Amino acid sequence: MYLTNGIVIGIIYAISALGVTLIVGIMKVVNFAHGELYVFAGYFSYYMSVSLGLSPLVAMPLSVFLVFLIGLLMEKALIRPTYGDDMYSLIVTFILSIVLQNLALLIFGPYPNKPPNLIFGATNLFGLFYYGNQRLLSFFISLAILLFIFYLIKMTWFGKSIRAVSQDREMASRIGIDHYRINMLSFGLGAALAAAAGVILSPIFPVTPSGSAAISLTAFVVVVLGGMGSLKGCLVGGLILGIIENLGAAYISTMYRGIFGFILLILVLVFRPWGLYGQKT
Amino acid sequence: MKSSTIWFSVAGLSVAIILPFFLSQYWLHVMIISLFYVMMASSWNLLAGYTGQVSFAHAAFAGVGAYTSGMLSVFLGVSPWLGILIGIISAALLGLGLGVLCIRMGGIYLSLTTLGFSEIIRIIITNEDNWTRGTMGLQTPGLFVEYSKTGYYFIFLAVAVAIGVVIYKLIHSEWGLTMRAVLNDEIAASASGINTINVRLLAFTFTSAIAGLAGGLYGHYLMLVTPDIPSLGQMFLVLAMAVIGGMGSFAGPIVGSFVLEILSEYIREWGEYHVLIFGLIALAMARFAPEGLMGLWINKRKGHGHTN
Amino acid sequence: MKKFLSLFVFLMVLTIGSSCWAQGTVKIGVVGPRTGPAAATGQAFEEGIALAIDHINAAGGVLGKKLEIVFEDTGGVPEKAAAAFERLATKEKVPVVVGESHSSSALAEIELANRYKLPLIICEAWHDDITAKGYKWVFRAGPANSGVVDFYIAPFVKDMGFKKVAIVRENSDWGAGIAERTEFDLKKMNIPFTTLKIERDSKDFYTELTKLKAEKPDIILAYIYGTGLHFFIAQANEIGLSPRALVLDGAGPPSLWDSFWKNVGKAGDLELFMSSMHEKVHLTNTSRKFWDAYNKKYGKNPTDYKSRSIYNVILIAADAINRAKSTDAEKVVAALEKSNLEVTTGVVKFGLKSGSYEYHQWMPPMLVVQWQDKNQVVVYPKKAATGPLKKAK
Repeated sequence: MYLTNGIVIGIIYAISALGVTLIVGIMKVVNFAHGELYVFAGYFSYYMSVSLGLSPLVAMPLSVFLVFLIGLLMEKALIRPTYGDDMYSLIVTFILSIVLQNLALLIFGPYPNKPPNLIFGATNLFGLFYYGNQRLLSFFISLAILLFIFYLIKMTWFGKSIRAVSQDREMASRIGIDHYRINMLSFGLGAALAAAAGVILSPIFPVTPSGSAAISLTAFVVVVLGGMGSLKGCLVGGLILGIIENLGAAYISTMYRGIFGFILLILVLVFRPWGLYGQKT
Repeated sequence: MKSSTIWFSVAGLSVAIILPFFLSQYWLHVMIISLFYVMMASSWNLLAGYTGQVSFAHAAFAGVGAYTSGMLSVFLGVSPWLGILIGIISAALLGLGLGVLCIRMGGIYLSLTTLGFSEIIRIIITNEDNWTRGTMGLQTPGLFVEYSKTGYYFIFLAVAVAIGVVIYKLIHSEWGLTMRAVLNDEIAASASGINTINVRLLAFTFTSAIAGLAGGLYGHYLMLVTPDIPSLGQMFLVLAMAVIGGMGSFAGPIVGSFVLEILSEYIREWGEYHVLIFGLIALAMARFAPEGLMGLWINKRKGHGHTN
Repeated sequence: MKKFLSLFVFLMVLTIGSSCWAQGTVKIGVVGPRTGPAAATGQAFEEGIALAIDHINAAGGVLGKKLEIVFEDTGGVPEKAAAAFERLATKEKVPVVVGESHSSSALAEIELANRYKLPLIICEAWHDDITAKGYKWVFRAGPANSGVVDFYIAPFVKDMGFKKVAIVRENSDWGAGIAERTEFDLKKMNIPFTTLKIERDSKDFYTELTKLKAEKPDIILAYIYGTGLHFFIAQANEIGLSPRALVLDGAGPPSLWDSFWKNVGKAGDLELFMSSMHEKVHLTNTSRKFWDAYNKKYGKNPTDYKSRSIYNVILIAADAINRAKSTDAEKVVAALEKSNLEVTTGVVKFGLKSGSYEYHQWMPPMLVVQWQDKNQVVVYPKKAATGPLKKAK
């Protein structure tokens, strides 16, 4: 039971962290506003499906697309001028996260909301225990998105351009890749991944504006754990964190569930600062 | 020191000294809080503006100072003055430890680790409620037997001025030049034989200690220490004050602290909007005027052809 | 540096400007969360305040002047609560402060009430210490943890024949206080129990619930305030713990929020909660008057009973000032100690024997209500019950 929940939560962490690692890997920018984008997507999907009466199957991709556009806009207006100045991009995205969080509070109010479930009830797993169907469904959707992103980055033209830009910006532009465009698209993609995590998870863990910081932090732990910019690291890091948190909560203390990740983070920094799959520089 | 700077300091200080005799209790309270933010923002600025390390644990170190001193005085009956001193030492030691862990990994790692550290501190404080009283807040004794706002005001003023003088001296010393060299060109700095890691570590430890001091004083002024002190919301305020006032300048964070704290009294009616307003101002400043209010001020004077 | 100078001059002007206030009104301060996770309480407070102002001013106001309310936000955080109280005491200079719904904030405020010698009437912060500390300036016209547990929750558990109790409590002062008292009472009554402490902001309770399930409780006393309770109920149902074990919400309002049914779905049926208000139970004429006025003004029935609690304490404060014929703190306290006023929940009389939580405390009667097919049925105490307790088959 604890292990299963750990794996499910782990995959969910991985998809949430994917957006961060993508942006770090390509642009060397940490997006502190990641959790807020997740929250916005959750609320969008809630309002579209509840207030506008759209089917969740329409509302979910539409919300993701909306956040993708927000991501593009953010990159163009705020992130682009900070390239080459790590310090300012950190400060700008941190302030941005506070602004978005308060904006969410203003627009959506302080109450958690959850879009309708796609599926109800629970399934008896392995004849051992009951597990919510919505959770199982989210697990499979997340897994599909993970595979899709792996494919996108490793196999397609877009993925190759991204990797070219992240390795050598000048070289890339010499062979005709517009790195501004690629950066903008990859920031948008990162934002869209945050949004995807948001719409998939909000029926299980309702979103609140104040919950965004925790979402960002978990994603950062996974990213550092796996190695910055590494996709494989992201998956493995997510799984490790999910399992450790659940086993820790079960056998050590439920109150310190949130802290296991950070202890892991510090251990990684001491012994293997470049993460599990990161590049040692 | 330029003569005009001296003149301004003396004038500012004398106004500050006679101020309590004119201000109501309420505005005195606002000034005391502003002075706390002066200590926090100036020291954070020393770290971020001069050595380029964006730490998100500054508020957490203030929390360490406040809780160390608070718990010592509540459970062991230690005098708050001694408690504050021990609080400073704990903050400095933790700062040193954290610095050793993440400084060599550079910018992004430092930011993420300090963010994580600040969460750890918050979680521990909220959960160990037998010792910290959790979200309820720990009620601590005051610095004086007889409660006196004027007394607190002068203590805060004296400490803030002392911190200000030390920071001013540091910025204009050999050490300060070294730090700026590290910020501007790391490779050149290392080539010239400066150990960038040690310089950064020293700055990190020193500013953590200042945050511990500020937190300790703050806790004994409010006579209440809560997990709000080491929160990210508090961290954001400190950061916004430095950014809006002007990072990388001595007067910037000081101006920023007063402006924001006083402004917040005036936009109080807007309640939930006020953090948003600060955020938008800070964002606009970071985007269009990265040198903050001080930068704008200096540019304006230059534009009019005045120099001093 | 010139900046400082102009800043200080600016400040002085402001200070002089801010020292004059409107003539012809009597101000009463209110503290409560208007922002933060419990902002719903702030809304309920505002509704109650509006009704109280209407009623008091229609009846001649306070000391012949109009009543004015200054509502300061605490954000539900002790530090901000202290700052809010400081502002009411030193800037607004109100003669009395009422309100509060967070024990942690209230505990910070009572220290300031004591320092500034400013009467404070708490309505919805339940921690025993608020009145048990014995401060002369602090009153409470609302539930105290020990009262709620001793007179309602513990007898309810015993009388309804529950065999095994699970206490789930959040890591807040209220959670700690009420859980401790419950443990104390259950021990006295020899009913086995198990306690689980949870993180207040948590959303995933699977691990905790799995642990609980192994204990096979038949009632869960959920001391969780906020939407965390909704997730808890929904997930307890998902893993098959409830409704075999009934859940009792020890606070009440979260079970009445608009979002309740949205968040819990079918799992909300048979859930129990504490309340001091029910549409069919009116204890006094004032209660009916409040109900009708609320309906007229807002076009709906009141759900969060905290709108009524704040209404009550404003009535109490205005009544005390009128009887004291002054806003002098000493006289107001003396008048409060002699209060004998009908409010929506009964007739207020503060306890005068110091040494326990009952000092300066008046406890309104409470009800245990159960959701049965989305209808509220009072199941306890028996003399107020509108139907029997339903258990799952």
